[in-house]
Amino acid sequence: MNPLSDDTLTAMWRSDRTVDKQTVMTAVDAVLREDRAARDKERRIRLVAAIVLALLCPLLLWGAVYGVTPLVRGGYALMAAGSAILVYAEWTYLDWLRQARPGPADARSQLRRTAFLVSRQASLLRTAALWTAPVFVGTAMIGLWIYQQRSHTGGYLLWAAIGAGWLLGAAAGMSKGTVLEQRRSRMEELLNDL
Amino acid sequence: MARDTDARTQFSELMEAYAAPIRRLCAAYAGAADREDLFQDIFLAVWRALPGFRGDASARTWLYRIAHNVALTWQARDRRRQVRESPLDEDLPGSSHIDLRRLALRQALAAMSPADRTLTLLWLEGLSAAEIEAVTGVKAATVAVRLSRIRKQLNPVEAAS
Repeated sequence: MNPLSDDTLTAMWRSDRTVDKQTVMTAVDAVLREDRAARDKERRIRLVAAIVLALLCPLLLWGAVYGVTPLVRGGYALMAAGSAILVYAEWTYLDWLRQARPGPADARSQLRRTAFLVSRQASLLRTAALWTAPVFVGTAMIGLWIYQQRSHTGGYLLWAAIGAGWLLGAAAGMSKGTVLEQRRSRMEELLNDL
Repeated sequence: MARDTDARTQFSELMEAYAAPIRRLCAAYAGAADREDLFQDIFLAVWRALPGFRGDASARTWLYRIAHNVALTWQARDRRRQVRESPLDEDLPGSSHIDLRRLALRQALAAMSPADRTLTLLWLEGLSAAEIEAVTGVKAATVAVRLSRIRKQLNPVEAAS
């Protein structure tokens, strides 16, 4: 049994794996491709959000001003405010996601920062039922007008759709928020261990 | 355009210089199925951070910071992935002495906590306690004490020889 010196151990470790130039060039191309794809995806998300803001909000605001009754006007106003909140929440979430990306900070600072931002993302998602409420309440008010003025069935159908959408959205937010909260907790563990 | 080319050249040089240690790091953190993904994630983070690199720290310290940050965050992202595959499920060495030692070393690394593994990997790559402090944020004196304890855990590697 021959004890290994530190030098032998580190030399043995560093002799494990060599990488040829061709593999490196392939890897460089793959990384740049992935970066481009990620940037394109981000651009698409921003474009969709901008289109929603530019088209949907004016339309809803128009409804809020010229709606047939105060109930309808209130409904559209809430939906307009809710759509703006949704877009803002999405931008905020993406911004935190970007800020939480690992960078060149030391590991302790990075873990602390990422854990903090992941915690904020988790809170945002877990409260989705609250900040999506204006859209659903606004639509429910339109549903009430349909129920009173047009058709009971139409009103019920719209309320059912709103209820299902709200519940599903809230459940998805809670579920994803819980996953993020667990991730934050693992980061805290890592941080304590480090 | 010229700036893009410069960045790409700098990035290629960095990857050429550090691909081998980063591959070793990936092998210590990830199972065979995820190793390539982790490698790519690390260099994607390096590419994204490159415009902010002004040479205040050495390129090695800067790159190891990013690499270990990605690996630790990656580890925290999905614990199931860690359970699903051990970092040792591939590339099992042959039967030479050096291979047995490597296998024992990789087994010892796999058994460590992520924090100890980070310190050990940096030490194995030849970083001093001060450089490890710059990468991890753990005080150099603490690094020295912990590495001394970790070295004792590496006894099985010595036994394999």
